[in-house]
Amino acid sequence: MSTIKKTRKAYNSIKIPEELNYVVNRAIHEEKIIKKKNIQICIKTATATLATTFALFIVLLNTNESFAKAMEEVPIIGEIAEVFTVREYREESDTELIDAKVPAIKNTGNTDLENRINYEISSKINDILEEAKQRAQEYKNAVLETGGSMDNYIPTRINIDYKITYQDKKIISFVITKSESMASAYQEQYFYNIDIQNGTELSLKDVLGAEYKEIVDMEVKKQIQQRQEEDYENNMYFTEDEGGFSGIDNEYQDFYINKDKKVTVVFQKYEIAPGYMGIQRFVIPNEIII
Amino acid sequence: MTHIAQEILVEYIKKNEEKLYRIAYTYTKNQENALDVVQEAITKSLENISKLRNEEYVKTWFYRILINEAIKASKNTKSFIDYETITNELSSQSNENELIENIDTFAIIQKLKPKLKTVIILRFFENLKIEEIAYITKTNTNTVKSRLYKAIEEIRKDLEESSV
Repeated sequence: MSTIKKTRKAYNSIKIPEELNYVVNRAIHEEKIIKKKNIQICIKTATATLATTFALFIVLLNTNESFAKAMEEVPIIGEIAEVFTVREYREESDTELIDAKVPAIKNTGNTDLENRINYEISSKINDILEEAKQRAQEYKNAVLETGGSMDNYIPTRINIDYKITYQDKKIISFVITKSESMASAYQEQYFYNIDIQNGTELSLKDVLGAEYKEIVDMEVKKQIQQRQEEDYENNMYFTEDEGGFSGIDNEYQDFYINKDKKVTVVFQKYEIAPGYMGIQRFVIPNEIII
Repeated sequence: MTHIAQEILVEYIKKNEEKLYRIAYTYTKNQENALDVVQEAITKSLENISKLRNEEYVKTWFYRILINEAIKASKNTKSFIDYETITNELSSQSNENELIENIDTFAIIQKLKPKLKTVIILRFFENLKIEEIAYITKTNTNTVKSRLYKAIEEIRKDLEESSV
């Protein structure tokens, strides 16, 4: 028998441990990394009153046990305006695994603003969860209908979390990220930039002034060029002909304030570059004007 | 692109888990570490799938990650060959002589230096093309070929010695 045949035979006689299948599935399930799909949201200036917020809370209290539990741990009132977790819950079923942290703002000295923003966040997250659950159910049905079995079915993971990107006495800026993973996975982000004193949400015009469009357009174009000069291969932005960046549409372009108090403009995946490049961020060096 | 690549990758991993395990085991020389290597490679590949430009390379790209992980893990493993473990972890054949032969042969493969081991596994056990192996090992086709000759020569010599 030839050397190669012998070695091949020996190699193929390596025993496969029983746990292998489990190890592989667990690794796929746990580490399926959420790919970014960033959706631009124009924030509705819904005028929710305290009463509607209250009504929503009652509904949630009655329908969601974990929410009721979380509400028992309402944080103690401090002095500085802050973003905190108003509810946190986990839900596990055959269909999905939910992990959600819902933020709210408090101590802004503007109850009306707090109610409005908190209601807006809370209802947005409820909608997102409903949609995600529905998609998870559809996905499960599709798997089962096409001959899949529940034995190796991996529930959809739905994760909602938030991050405060900047905060001082005047401004709070934070981003809520929702991710969902199943056969394919995606992520959506929602940006909140709040002017605490005036009780409004900030637009690019508020933070960069009337010339906001010129400032952002010039800076983004300049940085795209710089990135391409440094490393063209990893910075294949679309050209204008291909639907690439040609200027922002309006002052409601997604952005957040970063830790250095600079405006960071955000473009969703596929918006100005191929998908593999993910979310694109551009820090605008100009001082913000509030 | 990323979604497609990710789906291809997951499907590929699921279909080939036994192959992947055998590769890992050949480096780590024990079951526990081989399972860790497979797990680590899956995690890393899914985390980095966005860096993959062309989904045609999913397979070779994954091999590269797996082999890097396996080599990394093998550095922490004892270097001598434990015949008792091999005997337990090679499936028993009907013929005792065959088993003994397999054990000897396998011990020889395990003894090879990682670079030579990699080309043998990929070329003869995974049936990959020389070009693909060059991509995985970040070398060129000439290097792959010369490593192959060297590896075969070493195995042949060892086999002859063990059969004397």
